[in-house]
Amino acid sequence: MKKKVLLMGKSGSGKTSMRSIIFANYIARDTRRLGATIDVEHSHVRFLGNLVLNLWDCGGQEIFMENYFTTQRDNVFRNVEVLIYVFDVESREVEKDMHYYQSCLEAILQNSPGAKVFCLIHKMDLIPEDQRKMIFDKREAELMKRSLPLECTCFKTSIWDETLYKASAWSNIVHLLIPNVHQLESSLSNFATILDADEVLLFERATFLVIAHSVKRPHTDIHRFEKISNIVKQFKLSCSKLQAQFQSMEVRNSCFAAFIDFFTPNTYVMVIMSDPTIPSAATLVNIRNARKHFEKIERLESGLPVPTTAPRI
Amino acid sequence: MLKPKELTKVLEQANTGGFQCTLLLNPEGSLMAFAGKCDKKENITAAVAANIWMSNAKSAKSAFQDEGLQYIVMDCEDGKVAIRRVANLLLCVYTAESVGLGMLRAKVEALARYLEEPLKQIASP
Repeated sequence: MKKKVLLMGKSGSGKTSMRSIIFANYIARDTRRLGATIDVEHSHVRFLGNLVLNLWDCGGQEIFMENYFTTQRDNVFRNVEVLIYVFDVESREVEKDMHYYQSCLEAILQNSPGAKVFCLIHKMDLIPEDQRKMIFDKREAELMKRSLPLECTCFKTSIWDETLYKASAWSNIVHLLIPNVHQLESSLSNFATILDADEVLLFERATFLVIAHSVKRPHTDIHRFEKISNIVKQFKLSCSKLQAQFQSMEVRNSCFAAFIDFFTPNTYVMVIMSDPTIPSAATLVNIRNARKHFEKIERLESGLPVPTTAPRI
Repeated sequence: MLKPKELTKVLEQANTGGFQCTLLLNPEGSLMAFAGKCDKKENITAAVAANIWMSNAKSAKSAFQDEGLQYIVMDCEDGKVAIRRVANLLLCVYTAESVGLGMLRAKVEALARYLEEPLKQIASP
């Protein structure tokens, strides 16, 4: 299953940087080496097995932009599933950005009316902490208004303050692209109940984006997923430096235990248990036994034949 | 799937009349579930029990030829211990010294029979 994702925005707004961090395992510092994108860079990202994101990273210099709206219009805007438009929060030419954005929407409306639209207000780290929300809200309201009749979803993002913003926006985008996500979520919730877990998360293997989660006991930190993604990604990078593959980890103290384990061929699972009397081995056995069931869901998603043996759940 | 709290409740039922602690562990010595007063030494107990089992199982193999090791019952200074295989796990029970060996064996047998079928299902293929 191929899904075309358009990544657009003004030159220098950070499209390629974001893409490299999320899908090519760059760390933020590495993106300084990136040059300007010429025309369109296509990349295929295998996500969750057979879901292929066909990313069109469209260079944002004016000459290219004009091109997209004229000669390449059909080619670029046809069969688009998702449009991600990146705005530089510090841009001085807001009117012009909006103009391009609206031309873009117009073309989308003509060629792929069913596409979902996301706006990322990028480089939020450049704005003082106390003003971020106000500025974002103002931009969001304006974008919503200007996007009509299409609906858009806005996120604040930054590659530097990545623990705060980066992953959540992309997790949300990717979440929408996964077929069968509700079945995945209900299975996950079931799994959490059986385990007596506080929380269970499912991460995509390559990007470590959260694709589904189930919370049994609310937690105060709403940014915890992004923080964990980031920590594990860093850890995976250090693992690969030693030519070892990240397999699993267990963190335990007197009030909780956290397990991150290899799950299906495309996912990692994370289980949080707050009952210290439950031994690790019991949880690990449960994780191992749940694998089959989740592998089956994954195969259903990808349309591959499913073996007839019943899952052990 | 294994419901850890339910399993603990089942094990807890054995802890009457001088039975102090009931543990379920895998052959590597990691604790799967436990019930009773273990003075926070349940992990160590599990490791020691698995170790005793493993070393005896090896010699049992050559001694009994066709049959593997079924039981280990130990009569110690401060109490009695029984270890028995259930599915691919080990059940370990220890009691006060006042408990008779017959009673110990009967109870372990009953518990093992009850757990055998459900635990077989969660065992790795």
